[in-house]
Amino acid sequence: MESPQNSVARTPSNSAIVQRRSKSKSYRQSYRSCLGAASRLGLTPGLTARRLNSSRRALKSQVITEKVNPEHLAILVKAEWQLSYVTPLYQFRHTQLKSYSRQLSAFIAAEKQQGLAVEVEGSQSSFRVSFSVVQGMAETDDDAETVLIQIFSKPMFAKQDEPQRSVWSGWLTCINGNPDYLHSLPKGFTCLPLFGSSGAEVLTSLVKSWFQQTFDCCFGCLEINQTSLQWLAALWTNCHTESSLKHLKMIWTIPVVPPLQVTYTVDPQDAWELWMSVRMDQLDKSEEEEEEQARNIDIEEVTRFMQGLKSHFYRHFRLDLSAGNLQQVSTALGSAKFSGKIKISSSRYIITTLALLTECALLKMPI
Amino acid sequence: MDDAARRLLQRLVRRIPAQTLKTTLDKWGRLKAAQRQSMDFTQSKWALTEKLLAICEENELTLKHIAELEMIHVIENPDRSMWYALQLMDPEDDAHSVELTQFKEQFKSHLSELVRHVSIKIKKHTDEAVWIRIAWGDSFSRPNHLKPTYVVHHLQTPYVFVTGLTSKLKLLLTQALVLSTRHQAIKDASLSGRKLTAIRDLLMRQYQQVFPTKYPSPLAESNQNATNPLIDKEQAELSANRHQMACEAFGSGMLPQLQSAVYKLETKFRDHMNKTMTEREEPLKCVVKFASTSLLESLRHCASSGIASTPVTPLLSSIPLKGRNYFVITDNGPGPSSQTRQPQN
Amino acid sequence: MEAASTKGVLSHLSLLEVQARSRRSRPQQQSRVTELKAKVEALKVQKEQLEAEIQTHQNLQKLRSSLDKQCADEDDVEMEEDSENSELLRLMARHTQLKDLLHAHHLIGGYDVIKTRQGKGVCVSLATAYEGVYLDTYNLEIDLKPAVRISRHNIPPFIPVNSLAKENNMQTHMRAFLDALSQHLNAFAGRKQELKLLKEQHKSVEVMESNVLCSILVLMFTVPKEKTAVLCTLDYIDHSSCLPKRVHLECEDKQLPDSPQWKKNCSLLMETPVHTALTAMRKVGDIV
Repeated sequence: MESPQNSVARTPSNSAIVQRRSKSKSYRQSYRSCLGAASRLGLTPGLTARRLNSSRRALKSQVITEKVNPEHLAILVKAEWQLSYVTPLYQFRHTQLKSYSRQLSAFIAAEKQQGLAVEVEGSQSSFRVSFSVVQGMAETDDDAETVLIQIFSKPMFAKQDEPQRSVWSGWLTCINGNPDYLHSLPKGFTCLPLFGSSGAEVLTSLVKSWFQQTFDCCFGCLEINQTSLQWLAALWTNCHTESSLKHLKMIWTIPVVPPLQVTYTVDPQDAWELWMSVRMDQLDKSEEEEEEQARNIDIEEVTRFMQGLKSHFYRHFRLDLSAGNLQQVSTALGSAKFSGKIKISSSRYIITTLALLTECALLKMPI
Repeated sequence: MDDAARRLLQRLVRRIPAQTLKTTLDKWGRLKAAQRQSMDFTQSKWALTEKLLAICEENELTLKHIAELEMIHVIENPDRSMWYALQLMDPEDDAHSVELTQFKEQFKSHLSELVRHVSIKIKKHTDEAVWIRIAWGDSFSRPNHLKPTYVVHHLQTPYVFVTGLTSKLKLLLTQALVLSTRHQAIKDASLSGRKLTAIRDLLMRQYQQVFPTKYPSPLAESNQNATNPLIDKEQAELSANRHQMACEAFGSGMLPQLQSAVYKLETKFRDHMNKTMTEREEPLKCVVKFASTSLLESLRHCASSGIASTPVTPLLSSIPLKGRNYFVITDNGPGPSSQTRQPQN
Repeated sequence: MEAASTKGVLSHLSLLEVQARSRRSRPQQQSRVTELKAKVEALKVQKEQLEAEIQTHQNLQKLRSSLDKQCADEDDVEMEEDSENSELLRLMARHTQLKDLLHAHHLIGGYDVIKTRQGKGVCVSLATAYEGVYLDTYNLEIDLKPAVRISRHNIPPFIPVNSLAKENNMQTHMRAFLDALSQHLNAFAGRKQELKLLKEQHKSVEVMESNVLCSILVLMFTVPKEKTAVLCTLDYIDHSSCLPKRVHLECEDKQLPDSPQWKKNCSLLMETPVHTALTAMRKVGDIV
């Protein structure tokens, strides 16, 4: 294992070409088990072992802050990110980031000159782009290191000595990417399937088109589906004893005319006790497990948890929430929306969450 | 014009949309014909404000007059802020004979007794509603016209609607209201919303309610499915039945556009699938909020489409039945501002 | 052509003109005739239709009277066997009969009541009317079991439903409660209707004040000669009545309210509906 302090970032280059058929098969398997670093992908022993590690590590906050530059972490937990998936990048090199910074700056300047409206928060003079590697995020040797992109600018009428402000930021990551898939990539491709952006829409689309032109990739919007939202609700609730949830808030929309929105906010302690009650039944069955937290979370438990919450609701209102769509889940640890917006408020659970989203991105990708 | 009057006018012009500014000024009637004609409403808000300030200066208008203009605007556009309903209780024998002039005098004198510096304006609107604007001060400061309280009351009815009232001043206002309407008490009606007309119509029962009668009138939106020959009679009957029950619970046609309802639930978790939680002593605490552009219509659709089971649960039908949109639900009967979990009908 | 030779050229010419004109008008006459013929046809059809209607009506009446006489007569109502619409006619007759019954039912103060919740409750409809015009209908859903209790209604909040229920002891005297409530509702509907008629019929009388319950009415009259204004307050203290219990006049001319003429007007206002009282006052020239 490389030292996290290693200054040269690694771009895993895989020569092993796995047949397409097996790749898509592994997709389906991971989908069936319903995603997530903590999901029980008990299909291949190797995989299960790796996943088990990741879920355990996510709960130890010290590890992450020691590994990852705190400034970078601060940026990641600060904003709400709009997610997209990205197909593998061709000829992307982590060693070339300085050059990419220059290229993207020039690209934005050229677009601006062509009359494309690149006006962000009033008039801006010029944009400076910075690419950097977020060291220590990768969970396995197969994962490419996370790349952070920031765009700085200075307001038109700012004083000379005023520092440039960050007006846009984004990142590309791959955490616990499906190894079968990663190995199947032809030489020269780097897989960073999850893209998050925060800032003006204009800049987002400029960055996307530069990536498309430069690395022959394509972007697509990434919704966080019902299952993933339920997973996040359960994962966050599971953390309550270490780091308070404050509340577990879920928003459903019911397809009636006019549309009805139901916001269901549960007391954190009660949510946790309900969660533990659905976990406990499972624990009874497998007492040989050494430690509660180390044990994987199963999709069945997540379903039972949500079912419990829904049945409590139904008992009062006789209204079936399953008829609607879960739109949003939020706790003090983070919030996720169906539209593909995510905010991770606590650095402790960033890895688990991003691993789940990496799986979503890989699933959504057309190739 | 003093500084307070200028500031109020500036803020008011900023708030009134350009296209309604002219009619609002006309209704105000404080501008001379020539002055009215000299106003160019295509100008910027800033220029209009300057122009109006000059005219007000010229006509020697005061803070009182500007407050009048604000009142006209608020009466025409009441849906901008949060309105709360209050309910007067235990009327005195002469409560029904309180008329406007008497009410005005009484209210002003009672409130002035309670607060030293207070500015009150009372105006009767065309729909029989009495509008009251109160700018509050205290023993040391003059009334603050930038944060007025508005009160709407229909004489001889038990309901009062207020907006812009802080809890500190609530006691003073309610006391003055109770005395001047000849009642003995007042309470929070647990109904609030941005649309004054909606909460008023709901409490005044000014919408089409549906009752099981001998000669049922064909309900307006009576199931469109009926034209589909594939749906068998039994299904059509069920759906018609659901529709009837949905309308009996929420009403028919256009309903008051209530936008939300909140339930604070503190009830035991009961689920035969989950023994651990069912055996737990403490209730499960949660808050459920329903929101829609027209909540009652959404809920009616939920019930008629089968997303919500019929007959409609008393928790939901209580919204129109009791005219409330805030409920505290516990297992142990009513506490303050709460409601029993057990259905009452 | 003799006439022509004896009377001269001009008269001959005019004769020719007349002839020519008559010749031209002949086809016109022709079309007029067809027009009239068509009209005759149309009228004939209409006549037949009316005759048929009369026939139907007569049949209906015959049916009605026999229906009214009693259905106990075992042999059913005789009908012209050829009438293919006999079934329809029978239904129509039944319909008119029921409508009349319903009307009579309302007239004698009956209420429409139906059972709800498998007999555990009832829904009562109270219709209001003013001078033969049906106005709003109000409904009450009343639980009978386990206890008599009003569960739902659409009566406006300023009608004291609950205190009426208590006063009349609804638990045991449902009828008394419904009568009192109906009286209140009819009085309210009546006052509202009177105010509406007043506004329509007396544009010169200004309504200074009114309230949702229509229990207080402040009107402003103008006395024709002196052009003085009279402020008249009608106080409907008894909410179950359409007539005010108190009439108060205010005028700059202090003598006016005490004048015999205006005293008479006051009692008129207390005895007759406001809009008819005003018509009378206007007729004698007391108000504009």
